Amino acid sequence: MWEQVKQALVDSTARFLTRFANLLPGLAALIIALLLSVVLAWILAAIVRRVLASLHFDERLGQWGFSSLAEWSPMNSPTRLISRSVAALVMISGFLIGIAAFDLDWTYLFVQKMFAYIPDVLAALLVLLVGNVLARFLARSVLIGAVNLNLQYARLLSIGVKWIVIVLAFAMALEHLRIAPGIVELAFGILFGGIVLTLALAVGLSSKDLIGKSLERDVKKASTEPVEDPLRHL
Amino acid sequence: MEADATLQQTDSTAEQIGSADLVVGILAESDSSAIAKMYDALGTLPGPLRIAVLHDDQQQSPATVNSETTLERAFVFQVPSPLAKRDVPATGVASMSETYQSVFAAAEKLQARGCCIVASKLEVATPPWAWRIAQPLFESQADLVLPHYARRKFEGLLNASIIAPMMRALYGKRVNNPMGPDFGVSQRLFQKMLAAKAGGNQLNSMASLTPTALCQNLQIIEVHFGSRVYPATDWSNMSSVLADVLNPVFVDMERNAAFWQRTRVSLPVRAIGEPFPLDQDSSAVDTRAMVDSFQLGNRELQEIWSLVLPPSSLLELRKLSRLPVEQFRMPDELWVRIVYDFALAHRLRTISRDHLLRSMTPLYLGWVASYAHELTLAGTMSPERRLERLSVAYEAGKSYLVSRWRWPDRFNP
Repeated sequence: MWEQVKQALVDSTARFLTRFANLLPGLAALIIALLLSVVLAWILAAIVRRVLASLHFDERLGQWGFSSLAEWSPMNSPTRLISRSVAALVMISGFLIGIAAFDLDWTYLFVQKMFAYIPDVLAALLVLLVGNVLARFLARSVLIGAVNLNLQYARLLSIGVKWIVIVLAFAMALEHLRIAPGIVELAFGILFGGIVLTLALAVGLSSKDLIGKSLERDVKKASTEPVEDPLRHL
Repeated sequence: MEADATLQQTDSTAEQIGSADLVVGILAESDSSAIAKMYDALGTLPGPLRIAVLHDDQQQSPATVNSETTLERAFVFQVPSPLAKRDVPATGVASMSETYQSVFAAAEKLQARGCCIVASKLEVATPPWAWRIAQPLFESQADLVLPHYARRKFEGLLNASIIAPMMRALYGKRVNNPMGPDFGVSQRLFQKMLAAKAGGNQLNSMASLTPTALCQNLQIIEVHFGSRVYPATDWSNMSSVLADVLNPVFVDMERNAAFWQRTRVSLPVRAIGEPFPLDQDSSAVDTRAMVDSFQLGNRELQEIWSLVLPPSSLLELRKLSRLPVEQFRMPDELWVRIVYDFALAHRLRTISRDHLLRSMTPLYLGWVASYAHELTLAGTMSPERRLERLSVAYEAGKSYLVSRWRWPDRFNP
């Protein structure tokens, strides 16, 4: 009996040690891949930082209307944000390559799925970026147009347009990432409808008096002689 | 496409009728009697002259006035118009530019010694005023003849507040209506414009005529005319007008930077004729809406203006926005710095050019309100003296522009 127990323990230890020994090359490969990726990430980040700094990227970004990006960035520098993002991407890639070296079924599937997901992540990021650019451009157009039309709620209109486009872009990005698509669709519908309704109510209620005055002015105008505006600009 | 069709049409026309001494492009909307009077007036000019008239409505105009040129009378004939027929008359600077280019192309094909463009209506028509604008091309060897319209104090405000004084400060010549729209153009100048256009240069044939002539040191003469009939103000479209007119002016400013940075003082240009006496409009202007627009812009467009204007200008604008309407005055020095800073931002593409120029509208309306206050409430100052003071401010502020143009990144408090 004792012999059988002893044999079972020896077999189990041997199996464990064999499996552990089988894992060791993969573990070593993972550590090497991680170390290499860290070095590569550091070099690439330094190159990206230098190139962007020489292009005065931070200042230009402010000029292009992305000044708020600086607020989200480490040390208020979008250059650092981008260089650190590049470094993080390289290190994640190194980690995935290291994981794949274990040559196990689940690691292989995991890495395969991760790589298959990368195009979706990139597409989502692109959608977010384009959405952000478009939102800012349209918000600025609406703001200038509304101010030039003497609309007192110009800022409200501009913010409304900006958030409608951002919410739309965010919903599209989540759709690309396949994160709870049903919930996202529903939430987007509710949120979008809510924003439009809020804007309609805000504009409608605040312009109630304005429309009344405008109608009153029209009636007065009709009863009086038209006064010619003497200003000629062209 | 349109330009190609125009050139082909002009080719066949030139083959049929040979050549002309003068090409007159009539772009102004005129009734048939006015056109007929213009033909008659041109026909009475002393010959020998061959005058080709381009007009886009052939039904309204006679085919020829005189059958042949003599020493006493000019030969006036109509050319099948190469001008693009439009349902709506060309009003924007870009579309006007295309039309001007068509007239230049026609003049080149007809080997004309000069061409003149009649694009506006005068309050008191004085035929042959087309000839008055063309005459210096032949008799004084002028390269560009510009109109000097008699104007009331609230007419042509965009020209008076920005275009004319800025061109005077930049290019060193005191031209009153650099953007016409009526011009007399010599063969030398229209050939330069055509060559520049063919060379892929983004010249605006209307707005770039005067800067091109000034930069090439060509001879410019002004002719006094009566008052133009100005289009009524479309207040809902002010920002489009501002963007449409100022964009080519600022583009030319960028193109000719090497020239205007060397110019120091301004000189008057030769003028022909006597200034037309004009009764000044005494009606009051309601400036409340314009000041409201300025105040709204100051409140809501700070994030855009702060990308363009230095902190000192923004501070002054904030102080101005707190003034009551009747005390609202925008100092010339501030206005000049604003215009120069917007020109620089246009060059640097600080933000979209269209956004930039449209965001200037409340500032422009603020200047108009201030100008109206000074002329109506103060009452003593003549518009000429007031605008001369503004022009001097533009000249005094030029060193600020040159400095910012050369070193835009330098600290500017």
